[in-house]
Amino acid sequence: MLQHAAEEAIRGLEEAGIDFVSGLPDGWQRNVHELVEQNDSFQYVPACNEGAAFSMCAGAWLGGKKSALIMENSGLRVASEYIARISLGTGVPVTLLCSYRGDVGETEHWGVPHGIVAEPLLQALRIKYLVVRHVEDLCPAIKRAKRLSETQLHPAAVLISGDCVWDDGGES
Amino acid sequence: MALDRYDWLSRLASRIPEDCLVMSTYIGAVSFEWAHHTNEHPRTAHLGQMGDVIGMAVGLALALPHRRVVCLDGDGSVLMELAQLVAMGEQSPDNLVVFVVDNGVYESIGWGEHGRRATATATTVDLAAIAAACGVPYTVDISTEDQLVAEIDLAFSRNLCSFVNVRTEPGHSHVQPRRTDGIEDKYRFVRYVERLEGIRITGVPPQDIGLMKKKDG
Repeated sequence: MLQHAAEEAIRGLEEAGIDFVSGLPDGWQRNVHELVEQNDSFQYVPACNEGAAFSMCAGAWLGGKKSALIMENSGLRVASEYIARISLGTGVPVTLLCSYRGDVGETEHWGVPHGIVAEPLLQALRIKYLVVRHVEDLCPAIKRAKRLSETQLHPAAVLISGDCVWDDGGES
Repeated sequence: MALDRYDWLSRLASRIPEDCLVMSTYIGAVSFEWAHHTNEHPRTAHLGQMGDVIGMAVGLALALPHRRVVCLDGDGSVLMELAQLVAMGEQSPDNLVVFVVDNGVYESIGWGEHGRRATATATTVDLAAIAAACGVPYTVDISTEDQLVAEIDLAFSRNLCSFVNVRTEPGHSHVQPRRTDGIEDKYRFVRYVERLEGIRITGVPPQDIGLMKKKDG
């Protein structure tokens, strides 16, 4: 993610009151993970897959933490088993920050399937989401996603793409 | 050699500290018998399912580092998501001890004329060895009552992230199934944690707060 966008993501997490972050770093949000790790506002618990990360976020919420899971949208597929079991089954909120690989503008062929699956999968899991393509929208989107998550006791998501990750001026 | 599940869960239930929290699998004989032995005490979150019980216990233990957390899981569940053991080893919370009911079968699915369906622990897999390889500081594989007594003593007399794999005989539940679902179990546990810790986990709608009469001054 562009550095000023990553800093906006951190501001959003802080202002949302998130204090427990897990996830698996990816190419776009690697710097977000680094900023989280360096920030004392967050208890940072990296994982080796997004399913275990979601489980830890859910367990932390049961202990009073406000949890966020940071991952590529491919990780949604891995986490979906535990989102379904835990959140659809018992009602546990976790805020999801997902790189939107495969969005319009994608440069990597391997990102295309992630873009095809992500939104239908979120809908299948009854997870409301915002797609953020402008840096100035990132902080409020994270705060609103967290707010909804806590209100409905179910995850809410932010898919991040566009000007947050590409400094291309829209050139092809 | 292996232990009787009902008996060893009873022994564990009689020894767990009053002020600890328990993350347990929420369906199957383990949950039914644990609930029976503990009189459905709300300190137990019957919320874990296949592949997520240890992960949730790690998250809970990290969120409340001053609070001892006991985890009850089964071999099929641990096998489903070994990344949980990676997380447990990487984080190694001192306040977490995991007991695994390792009966070597998928008990909850029932059985037919050819008997029960075996898990990999019945033949090739050693869960305690995997946990050790993931970096869990203390792991042990036990199958006798004397070992169980000793491990329960150890688990509750020190602060060390531990994984105790208990070889267990397969067998029917000795008690009736539980009647609650995950939603009720969650609220019961959350309200207990809120009282125990003096914290709020679920919120109050701002509009509702606005209905309160403001105090003068």
